[in-house]
Amino acid sequence: MTHARQAWIVACWEFRRYFKWKDQIIGIAFFLGLSGFAWFAGWLGTRNDGNTVTIAVAGTRPAAGGRVAFVPAAATDSARVHALRAGAVNGMLVQQADGVWELLVEKEPTYRAELARLLSDELRRERLAGTGLTEADLARLLEPARIEVRFVDRQRGDRGLAEKVAAGTVIFIMTMAVFNSLAYLLTGITSEKQTRVTECVVSAISPQAWIDGKVLGIAGFTLVSVGNMVVGALVLAFAAQFVWDFPWPEGAVRAGVLITLLLFGVLGLLLWNSFFAAVAATISDPNTSTRTSLMMVPLIPVVMSLAVLRDPDALLSRFLAVFPLTSAPALPMRLVLSDPGLLEIGLAVLLLAGAIWLMRRLAGGIFEIGMLLYGKEPTLREMVRWARRVS
Amino acid sequence: MSAPLLRVDGVTKTFVGRAAVETLSFDVRPGEVFALLGPNGAGKTTTVRMLVGIIQPDAGRITFSVNGATAPTMPPELTGYLPEERGLYREISVQRTLVYFGMLRGMDRREAAARASEWLETMGLSDRSAERLDALSKGNQQRVQLIAAVLHRPRLAILDEPFTGLDPLSQEFFLELVRELKGAGTTIILSAHQMDLVERAADRVLLLNRGREILSGSVREMHERLDARPRLCLTLEADADDAVLEQDEDVQELRRDGDDAHVTLRARSSMPSFLARVMGRLPVRSIATESPRLHDVFVRAVREDDARAAAEAS
Repeated sequence: MTHARQAWIVACWEFRRYFKWKDQIIGIAFFLGLSGFAWFAGWLGTRNDGNTVTIAVAGTRPAAGGRVAFVPAAATDSARVHALRAGAVNGMLVQQADGVWELLVEKEPTYRAELARLLSDELRRERLAGTGLTEADLARLLEPARIEVRFVDRQRGDRGLAEKVAAGTVIFIMTMAVFNSLAYLLTGITSEKQTRVTECVVSAISPQAWIDGKVLGIAGFTLVSVGNMVVGALVLAFAAQFVWDFPWPEGAVRAGVLITLLLFGVLGLLLWNSFFAAVAATISDPNTSTRTSLMMVPLIPVVMSLAVLRDPDALLSRFLAVFPLTSAPALPMRLVLSDPGLLEIGLAVLLLAGAIWLMRRLAGGIFEIGMLLYGKEPTLREMVRWARRVS
Repeated sequence: MSAPLLRVDGVTKTFVGRAAVETLSFDVRPGEVFALLGPNGAGKTTTVRMLVGIIQPDAGRITFSVNGATAPTMPPELTGYLPEERGLYREISVQRTLVYFGMLRGMDRREAAARASEWLETMGLSDRSAERLDALSKGNQQRVQLIAAVLHRPRLAILDEPFTGLDPLSQEFFLELVRELKGAGTTIILSAHQMDLVERAADRVLLLNRGREILSGSVREMHERLDARPRLCLTLEADADDAVLEQDEDVQELRRDGDDAHVTLRARSSMPSFLARVMGRLPVRSIATESPRLHDVFVRAVREDDARAAAEAS
């Protein structure tokens, strides 16, 4: 039996081991339910329930607005406090100086921002009246400079925002998929060690075929799971467009860009899955192992790649976009913010594919010994030595 | 005599400076049941793992001869392996697990499913095929594990401690299965320490101690090489006086067990002469010759080897 056939049998097994339609449907239903609840909570929060806030003012009353109403304050301090304690008014406003007010309250004024806005409007009107300027004059004075960007390639301008959203979404989804895979690889491999399945498998196939199959199978499972969630989100957004007037994102993503984004996402997932499989093989008990902290390593390239946002054409950004450990998140960013060119994309794909091949070989070396080692966890030096055996 | 299926030649394996197996040599012929015996830590499992290819020897050679060609490993589709450290996927159904292991050994899905159903029927587990493995008793889990090892009808089955953890009935069942596999032409390598069971199943045995061979051959040969003294069991009439036996010059050891008198004669004694002498003087109901049990052979050989090693060390 060929290596590819062995790896494929394992990949199918790992996929079916975790993939259950029932779980997928429950996951989507939970996601939709949670989204619906979030929308409902937001709707409740913005709904005007008719409660007004009554503020007593000593002296000139500002113009009312929103749910805030102003009434004249009682003449004496004791009468004002009595009105507050009786709940006849929510607050007592006294002007201390030009632009400074004191608000006397019984409880935390949750309407504070709204009140501040009304007082600011009042103050601005008073001051404008003194200068002879109109509101329109003031608006013109404060208007910032505007730059209208026009691209030589007009289509790029039309699609820019949509492609940025697509790139951000793909990176976010792939990061989710990476950590989702991590969880399944960690629990799957450590449980295989704990239940002593290892010897049965490695007596039938090579450890390299086993790890290759695992990496492929779990990558496939997480991609399908995350894909189902994305489909669920799209269905929700589509429904929301009609039911709640939710704005459907406009613009389009070029097919080439979308394919490149997905390609880098999948390659990045395979790279980190190989790394996780090797680390998991050296863990005897995930509850007590300190090695689980290594599982956060894939966050480093994502954080580093944020440098591309600041200046996509800087030397660092160009390096991150082709360096195999960072290219999966960095190149998609450069792709939508700049113009990396086919040569750079091709080089990044080649280097990333090479890194995957090397990582799977190194991981295979660690996996081969790690899976048969019970009880004691190897040191990092030992892991490096095992990995070097295959090079 | 047919050419060996397996030849182990001067194999050594060392872990952290300690030899787990040391210059071990033996061969296994096609169709025989070959038993690796030894106390805990003797090197049986290390030897088995080298045979399966899970670990590699530091020195020496392991050679398999299949269809006229020789190779350092046996093709997985021709090998079945029941490891000492047993384990299958607990959360997955029995049938799916068996099909997976069948496919890993080169079967296609349909063939593996059909064969798994047959084996589950044979093992009395056909009504449990859809259940998760962890829903089965430990004995039944071991049966499933054994099926996984031989589902694909291997030419060579390597069974490491197959009787461990089984109740006597299950041990008998496994023993019968070993015989059936042998009858079907499968060569079997057993690693075990249940001597009574091995004695009934094995054609040849190899006794290991501290990683080295201390005895090998057929069960009969081992008995003879270790203790060639004639042994008899005389069943006497009730209240017979065995003073005749105690005083006989050919009797070296005498042990009474109810009406049975177990007699060990001196090495050069003649059994017919001894019998002719005592038959007229003792009321004997029956006579049987005895061989030392493999268990006794095992204990004695290991103790002698340990004593020799201790003497060398001092």
